[in-house]
Amino acid sequence: MIDILGYFCIGVGIVFWFWGTIPLLGKRTVLFKLHSLSVADTLGSMAILFGLLLKLPSEWQLLILAILSLAMWNTMLGYVLAYCTSSQEES
Amino acid sequence: MNSILNFILMLMIVAMLIPIYAAWKSNDVWQKMLALTSVSTKASIIILVVSVLRDDWMIGVVGAIVLSVGNAGFMLLAHLLKRMDNK
Repeated sequence: MIDILGYFCIGVGIVFWFWGTIPLLGKRTVLFKLHSLSVADTLGSMAILFGLLLKLPSEWQLLILAILSLAMWNTMLGYVLAYCTSSQEES
Repeated sequence: MNSILNFILMLMIVAMLIPIYAAWKSNDVWQKMLALTSVSTKASIIILVVSVLRDDWMIGVVGAIVLSVGNAGFMLLAHLLKRMDNK
């Protein structure tokens, strides 16, 4: 049961990845792409890491460290990129 | 467990090829930054999946370090690019 739940979480994460990455190929603005990308990369990666956590509990310290640093750094990076590109589009 | 995780790994590598192509194709520096940010996050998650696949902590530590230091480096680069744009 845990294995199936783990694979389900990893599957959801990969679907998020593809959903957030495909707009990168389009012609939309940077901010539009940034929104779908940061949501998909952050949430998708966290779902994948949670799935890995379910599959291999012995490595929980490392995976929780990765989830926390992902949540912090990826969110911060999305904000910094949005700040830098929006002021560039104004000027 | 291994064959399914190997298939998942292939899917993740395909998902990583999309931003690599987007970074290669685009001319705007911010579009390129966006694509390479996505490549770095995906690469670190792939490293973590390989570490679980091989049950090897050292590879996992590398993935966690890439995750935090890589994104921090991108933030500094974004600020640098912004200041160069303003000049």
